[in-house]
Amino acid sequence: MDVNVVGPKVYYTLPFDIPVLGPIQITETLVVSWIVMAIITGLCIFLTHNLKVENITKRQAFAEMLVETADKFVIGNMGEKFRGFIPFVAALFATSVVSNLISLIGLRSPTADLNTEAAWAVVVFIIITQQKIKAGGFFGYLKGFTQPIPVLTPFNILSELATPISMACRHFGNILSGVVINGLLYAALALASSKLLGLIPGAVGAVLSNVPILDVGIPAILSVYFDWFSGVMQAYIFCMLTTMYIANAAEG
Amino acid sequence: MNTQELVTLVPWTFIAQICNLFIQMYLIKRFLFKPIREMLAKRKELADAQIKDAEAAKEEALAMKAEYEQNMADAKEKAGEILSTAQKTAEKKSDEIIREANSQAQALKNKAESDIAQERRKAVNEIKDEIGGIAMEIAGKVIEREISEDDHRKLIDEFIENVGGES
Repeated sequence: MDVNVVGPKVYYTLPFDIPVLGPIQITETLVVSWIVMAIITGLCIFLTHNLKVENITKRQAFAEMLVETADKFVIGNMGEKFRGFIPFVAALFATSVVSNLISLIGLRSPTADLNTEAAWAVVVFIIITQQKIKAGGFFGYLKGFTQPIPVLTPFNILSELATPISMACRHFGNILSGVVINGLLYAALALASSKLLGLIPGAVGAVLSNVPILDVGIPAILSVYFDWFSGVMQAYIFCMLTTMYIANAAEG
Repeated sequence: MNTQELVTLVPWTFIAQICNLFIQMYLIKRFLFKPIREMLAKRKELADAQIKDAEAAKEEALAMKAEYEQNMADAKEKAGEILSTAQKTAEKKSDEIIREANSQAQALKNKAESDIAQERRKAVNEIKDEIGGIAMEIAGKVIEREISEDDHRKLIDEFIENVGGES
């Protein structure tokens, strides 16, 4: 029996080629990303319709709690002057969490594609650089690479570039490992159940051995770690690092 | 169906995901943060208005209390004034009554004294008359002759004059 852990499916490739950037592909990652966005936006609209000033519903209390948590997280980690980053960090966290957890309903997580995390990490990297230039001026930013002694310049550039790469790879690796292990586990349990039910003699055994009965329930235990814990944790870590890096960069 | 490599970078997917992130940011801002913040601002406004109202009510109550206390003090002062006036009036009146009583008593006393004096004079006159009569009788008996009424009267008067002068 072969077990293949593959990348996201390519549903459609636009027939024309664009130089340098290559063909436009509609992949599973993009489609599921759109589903994720629809879920988040739908949830927001559901939570905030019919808002009242007093005598609020549980739904509204939950929405207020989300907003207050986002405020507290960003302001607590970055300070009052970074209020403008609240929606950005909230979007990052929400997209990450929902993308990670959407594997629970059988879809392929967009975060199991390095492109997604790389996109986020590059955006964060651009914000970090922009904040550094804003804090110390363009030449101050360049000069920062030669500190404390000019010999360290290559290492400083390396460490600067390592920031987005490590952020993206950390998140991607955690989610991908979940995908790989879940794939292996499903295959192994299917094999085990087919062998187990194959012990029943006659036609009954032949039919039942095709039903991967052990795949029901058991992977859910591992999914508690790989989907729930790891998914929420990685989203939290990604946002935490984002806020920390940006706040540090602004301090110069 | 084709599949992408497990670990690879595809430029268009990468760009699309950046766009998706910013679209998601806008959507969250528009559909979660904006309405909630507006509602929170409204609630804050309401709370502020309520606090202001409460403060105004408190101020009013304080003003009313001050006014009430002022009124109370005024009333107390007035009551004291009335009381002292009444006291003074009563004192004056009692003095007057006593004085009047005194004067009345004095008048009564005077009248009684004058009455007594008149009575006395009357009694003295009566006694004088009686003594005169007795004396005339005695004298008539003594001299055994009739004297004219005029002489008689003259004699008596003379006698009384003498008696009165000695008495």
